[in-house]
Amino acid sequence: MDFLQVAGEAAAANLLAPAILFFALGAFAGFAKSDLSIPDQVAKTLALYLMLCIGFKGGAEARASGLSTELLTAGGIGLTLGFLAPFAAYAALRAMCRLDRLTAAATAAHYGSVSVVTFAAGSEYLRSIGVEFGGYMAAVLALMETPGILAALIIVGARARAPGTRYNPQIFREVLFNGAAVVLIGSFVIGAITGQSGMQRLDVFVGPLFQGALCIFLLDMGLVASRRLAEASQLRFSMVVFAIGWPLLSAGVALLAADAAGLSIGDGALLAVLAASASYIAAPAAMRIALPQADAGVYLPMSLGVTFPFNLIVGIPLYHAVARVLLG
Amino acid sequence: MQLAKRTKLEIFVEQHALARIEAMLGESGFTGWSVFEGVEGAGSQGGWRQTGITEGAAYLLVAIGSEAAAESALSWLADYFTVYPGIVAVSEVAVMRGDRF
Repeated sequence: MDFLQVAGEAAAANLLAPAILFFALGAFAGFAKSDLSIPDQVAKTLALYLMLCIGFKGGAEARASGLSTELLTAGGIGLTLGFLAPFAAYAALRAMCRLDRLTAAATAAHYGSVSVVTFAAGSEYLRSIGVEFGGYMAAVLALMETPGILAALIIVGARARAPGTRYNPQIFREVLFNGAAVVLIGSFVIGAITGQSGMQRLDVFVGPLFQGALCIFLLDMGLVASRRLAEASQLRFSMVVFAIGWPLLSAGVALLAADAAGLSIGDGALLAVLAASASYIAAPAAMRIALPQADAGVYLPMSLGVTFPFNLIVGIPLYHAVARVLLG
Repeated sequence: MQLAKRTKLEIFVEQHALARIEAMLGESGFTGWSVFEGVEGAGSQGGWRQTGITEGAAYLLVAIGSEAAAESALSWLADYFTVYPGIVAVSEVAVMRGDRF
């Protein structure tokens, strides 16, 4: 079976998934200026719910499989990519997009960190086509969330505190203990502690309900992404090229690393999804505190308006197809 | 009706600063304040909208207290606004039960 056939089948399977179609519905409603909206508190609750499910299921599955070499290998690759990617992204953003230093660093932090929902969509896609992957990939997700943000702070080499000011922002507390990280890592630990008995008790909550919640959340993300894109007056062509090209490059590097490390197709594909994804929850919150002078009108439309839909619609099946050819 | 003159601060800031600013208000001598969550609006850098998880809304803190407390708070806020976005509006107000402020 050649690559084009594999990629074509994967794209068709992905485009007809309910979650993707709900995302498209949200995007359509946003572009059409429909009054459709998901209440803020519902969106926040759904985000917490998705993180809880991913963390808990990952923890329970990781306990079942034990502390494996695959977990350590995938975690090591993830940590390395998450920390090093912002340095390369920063250089590319400065050279290619002509961004100022702080905005380039903040944008690089977004591309070094990861998107939980892209991971959720990627894992659901793999499940839907019967590709197995390790539950420990949720731990890799958690590991990859913060190094990119810390790398961006190293790049700029200073905190937000201006000379002579008394205000001392608690950046590292925000980075390390932001709500998303606490729920994700905490749920993983709880899942690992309770194991299969915990999974049985929460089976319906973290199992069958997950797909429906993901659909509502992606409906909201479609609305938000399309509105973000419509309002993104500062988004230049070079930024769009970066927002699509960078995920492809990152995914390629992750897949080569997965091949060298001997990871399975499922693990390799999810590692590529993580490397290609851009954060739009943890990183923006951290950047608002750490680099308030950076332009949110640049990094949010890029990560949320371009990279997220690209990964969701094209990237996920593409990374899996490449993983199948490369790692199969 | 007996009214007392006090100073009112209306402070617009991002969510992450709320806890620090509320602590500062207490340290400055304010005995009470209220916090309101913004929905959407526009400022010098264009429009903003509270959209679920991806954006923090602007929050409005309203505090009424003595002139000395307001001056102390404004000194702190002057530093804060050198780094972070935000607005503060100051006004003289007349309040009932002035002993409470």
